[in-house]
Amino acid sequence: MSGVSVATDVGGTFTDVVLAAADGTVHVVKTLTTPQDPAEGLLRGVREALDLAGVAPGAVTRFVHATTLATNVILERRGVPVAFVTTEGFRAMLALGRQARVEEERFDLGFVQPEPPVPLTHTFSVAGRIDASGAEVLPLDEEGAADVAERIAALGVAAVAVCLLHSYARPDHERRLGEILRARLGGVPVVLSCDVWPEMGEYERATTTLMSAYVGPVMDSYLRRLTGLLRDVGVTAPVQVMESAGGVLPAELAAARAVHTIESGPAAGVIAAADAGAARGLADLISFDMGGTTAKAGLVRGGRPGITHEFQVGGKGSFGGRRPGTGVPIKIPAIDLAEVGSGGGSIAAVSGGTLTVGPRSAGADPGPACYGRGGTEPTVTDANLVLGYLDPEEFAFPLSRERAEAALRKVADPLGVDVATAAAAVHNIANAQMGAAVHVVTVRRGIDPRGYTLVALGGAAPTHAARLAERFGITRVLVPPNSGVGSAAGLLRADLSVERARTYLRGTSTMTEADLAALDALFTELEEAARTDLSAPVGGEAVRSVGVRFVGQAHAFTVDLPSGPLTPAAIGQVTEDFYKRYEESYGIPLRDPAELTTARVRVTLPAPRPPTAAVRTVEAEERERTVHLDGTALSVPVRPRASCPLGVPLAGPRILTDPECSVLVPPGWRATATPEGSTLLEHRSEDA
Amino acid sequence: MSDDLTAEILRNALCTAAEEASIVVVRSAYSTFIVEGADAAAAVLDARGRLVAHSTSTAIIQCASLRSALPYLLRRFPAATMAPGDVFLMNDVYQGGIHANDLLVFRPVFSGGEAAYFTGTLIHVADLSGLSAGGMASDATDVFLEGVQLPPVRIATRDGLVDDVVAILAANSRTPDKLVGDLRALIAGANVAARRIEELIDERFAHGVEEYLADTERRMRDSLREIPDGSYTGAYTLDDGLTVRVTVTLADGAATIDFTGTDAQVPLPVNSGFSQTLGGVMYAIRCYVDPSLPLNEGCFAALDVVLPEGSLVHCTRPFPGGGRFGTVAAAEEAVFAALTRALPGRGVAASGILQGFSLSGVARPWLHMAFDLGGMGAGAHRDGPDATGALFGGGRNIIPQAEPVEARLPVRIEAVELIPDSGGAGTRRGGLGTRTVIRLLEDARVDTRGDRLHRPPPGAEGGLPGRAGGYFREGPDGTRTPLDTKATRQPLTAGDAFVLETSGGGGYGPPPGRAEADRARDLADGRVTHSPDDTDDPDDPDDPDDTEGGV
Repeated sequence: MSGVSVATDVGGTFTDVVLAAADGTVHVVKTLTTPQDPAEGLLRGVREALDLAGVAPGAVTRFVHATTLATNVILERRGVPVAFVTTEGFRAMLALGRQARVEEERFDLGFVQPEPPVPLTHTFSVAGRIDASGAEVLPLDEEGAADVAERIAALGVAAVAVCLLHSYARPDHERRLGEILRARLGGVPVVLSCDVWPEMGEYERATTTLMSAYVGPVMDSYLRRLTGLLRDVGVTAPVQVMESAGGVLPAELAAARAVHTIESGPAAGVIAAADAGAARGLADLISFDMGGTTAKAGLVRGGRPGITHEFQVGGKGSFGGRRPGTGVPIKIPAIDLAEVGSGGGSIAAVSGGTLTVGPRSAGADPGPACYGRGGTEPTVTDANLVLGYLDPEEFAFPLSRERAEAALRKVADPLGVDVATAAAAVHNIANAQMGAAVHVVTVRRGIDPRGYTLVALGGAAPTHAARLAERFGITRVLVPPNSGVGSAAGLLRADLSVERARTYLRGTSTMTEADLAALDALFTELEEAARTDLSAPVGGEAVRSVGVRFVGQAHAFTVDLPSGPLTPAAIGQVTEDFYKRYEESYGIPLRDPAELTTARVRVTLPAPRPPTAAVRTVEAEERERTVHLDGTALSVPVRPRASCPLGVPLAGPRILTDPECSVLVPPGWRATATPEGSTLLEHRSEDA
Repeated sequence: MSDDLTAEILRNALCTAAEEASIVVVRSAYSTFIVEGADAAAAVLDARGRLVAHSTSTAIIQCASLRSALPYLLRRFPAATMAPGDVFLMNDVYQGGIHANDLLVFRPVFSGGEAAYFTGTLIHVADLSGLSAGGMASDATDVFLEGVQLPPVRIATRDGLVDDVVAILAANSRTPDKLVGDLRALIAGANVAARRIEELIDERFAHGVEEYLADTERRMRDSLREIPDGSYTGAYTLDDGLTVRVTVTLADGAATIDFTGTDAQVPLPVNSGFSQTLGGVMYAIRCYVDPSLPLNEGCFAALDVVLPEGSLVHCTRPFPGGGRFGTVAAAEEAVFAALTRALPGRGVAASGILQGFSLSGVARPWLHMAFDLGGMGAGAHRDGPDATGALFGGGRNIIPQAEPVEARLPVRIEAVELIPDSGGAGTRRGGLGTRTVIRLLEDARVDTRGDRLHRPPPGAEGGLPGRAGGYFREGPDGTRTPLDTKATRQPLTAGDAFVLETSGGGGYGPPPGRAEADRARDLADGRVTHSPDDTDDPDDPDDPDDTEGGV
């Protein structure tokens, strides 16, 4: 049934490729990212994976891709120059913003106003007015619109974002303005808020539209080129891109809805963690995804990744910018994550007598010194090699211990210590920094991490995970199969999914037959749009839901509609469900008049589930290697992870090796191979 | 490390409990003031009245009210007389409250059979009687005209709401359903936080709280020691000529903030209840200490705040306290002025402040209460931010968006724009004020409440004052007539627009010192329309060029 699926995750240092063959056999390739042109490294990895699996390119039926392109474009302000057009009287909407001043900043008399995402010189307004009911109050000023088009043409922008007041209720003005702008601006993309996110709330709708315009063209040209290059090597399967809430989108849609891909790769990591935990019957997890450049932590409670609707890009705070009201709000659902700038490639340096690690990264080019690709700066990976945690021969490519030592001398000498001591310090500092990300998703939210299982994903994570766990008193670490390419493995599990929503305001108790018919038509329209997005006119699952709130309140709950026709009874059921949810959440048994706020449809096409291939234990010799642990050089057993006997605890200290990663089992821990192919590390205190 | 971690989890869990309470109140309240923008305050306190934790979005003045009021509640209802499930309500400005419409709700949390901790919530409710719908009557000459007075009363027991009290409150509200809804929301928030605290209480909890407060106090005192010891004075004068005067004395990690010499209270709602001035003082002092300090009793313990009874900063019965914003902001500026003497160069020019208003229906009951923010003063190293929440530490997230307001009310918001040339000129320019234009689709009445409109925010170190804002009625033909800056129940006819302009912030340093690149940028952005060589006076309020444009 199931064909060949290929998943690729382009990180700052490594590009991971996972290929699941029709029989469930999984092949993985880890290759260096090519920063100048990420597609080059990606294609190399794909070709290697195809060769490894002995699969013809034409046999690939599914190609799923995670990319940090959108995030990087926004954070590094590398998007295309954008002009913004809104309703007359609201030109300052973005400059004024709706920022909260929180924590340290609120007491800062030297508080500096953040630069608006679009300068006032690139912001325009056009007269014309629709009211909240969708009625036209003042016709669109077409001459004024033409004049704005002219002035935008003179600016030479690469995209235009348009958000007119109440366009969610009636998009006519916005569409007409779009036509006028397009007629004058030729091929410059004009992005309309009624297409991107037609919900009430002009500021968030504007910023979401703006970011789509800003990132969209970059994403579009990248995905077009990638699709073409894949076709050149014979891979003709449709390209799909991971979106922030854990589903995947077709490539064409990912370009049009670029903001939905902002947390593409990291989201895949959390999905992979949830998946690995579920296979072991573990539902409360902390995903810890450490690659070459960054480390991310996410929380899975009761088996479900946390989803945030208050997603902010480029906000205040060093950990992923998630403090509400401090960055640019983007009105899309996203998996909740914290990120720190330390990974295997993070560079160690001594300044003013103090050892620091990161945030500078050697990335893929030149990479850590031990890669022998011209890097001379000491990195976390160099430290791990010197400490004996990595095997120079078992890695994806041979590593140079000599180069690693030479690089580490750059920090050991000024500190007056030997190379191993310096390496241990670098390893520990990296752990402390990654601890900050775990801290944000747990302790900072008042959640005690000690009952959770840390799931190690990404090439560097299994080497650090147990030590990181110790910092929090966490006693269980799960290293999934193919954890070195954890995010990419998560991509294989993600369903194709699109959500479409529009504001729909109506009292639940006063809905007429005509209202019901109109709502039904809106649902049909949204579902058709979502199906068009997915090129899936039939099949899959379409879930209809509505936002419901008390008349006079602002916050709505999302309630699924009962299946079957839209009748007064169905709306009654929705209202009852809402009352129940409300009482459960707030403890108030209120039965006041309620109203619908939003109609939503999510269409999901389940991903073909590759069958799980049986875990085969390979025969291998156990060897001894000298590693540095807690300031002592010890000879510890080393064996391939694949050779661990199922269900038999192996006591630490020891090292388990994998082509993509190396699992450090510190003293006090034991490692057990599970039937799903994971390795479960448990701290001995569990015995007590 | 594990002990540190335990302590840190507890501290964060306390803050999270308060945060969660605040979210519950915001999401379940009916007051339009809350649902479209402004936040709810929530706090965790102990039976000694000490502040343990509060919700982060809270303005400090609200937090100070919860902290100041709890001892009065305990005076009337000793902790030993409280039973599990009890919830208490109050609003008395002379007992730590703010004014009639700001309701405070407290719920005891029991530990070892005693009411050991309290959770508190506070929001501005839609209406609780008084001269004007919404509680913004600027002609209230005594507290009774501001609304129903509530000493601490029991509003719920384990059996549910105390219906008799609820009935009295509902009968005294122009919007009884919304009032009762808001009351339920406040109680729900206090309940949620109480449940969280109950879950946290174990044998180590009390010790953990003590350590937290002690640690904060230690850090606060360390931070205060970095300000040179000595006595420093400051003053600030309000629109109507009343002056707030302060002497700040720093001595080895303690600060005395003495308002002796401040003008006497007046029979108008410009006075401040003591809790509000205390909140303002805490805000001002916190701008000069370690910004990462948590706000709890440890911060208050290091301060001795002297507020003479019967003065503008500590009103006594029956003087009203509802219009406190101008006075609290003046107290903050006075403290800033004093501390600028202690630490020259760290100060900023004065800022435009929050300007409130309420619109209410004539033919049918509806209410829109909101505000906008003035430009912030410039400092030695930066221009003033535009229309931001200086002095109370908020941001523009509390300003409602136009679409939801229009969906709810018979108004059309025609503009929310920056006012060009409204920032005070200087080497560093003051932040711009905003103009909000609200067209009425039905007859309405308006209340206004602003300050720094007759005496615009002064500049500093040779900078010029910001442009004065104001309130206006604009007829359908565009003619604009000023409304009083503290107006009550002024009629607006359908078709009229209500116009709110906020003041710009003061400039810093002499205007000729402004860098050419900064001038060019201001012109390109439209923040400034005049080049410096123009003979035209950009601050001339009679010049039509200055009031027409918008950015």
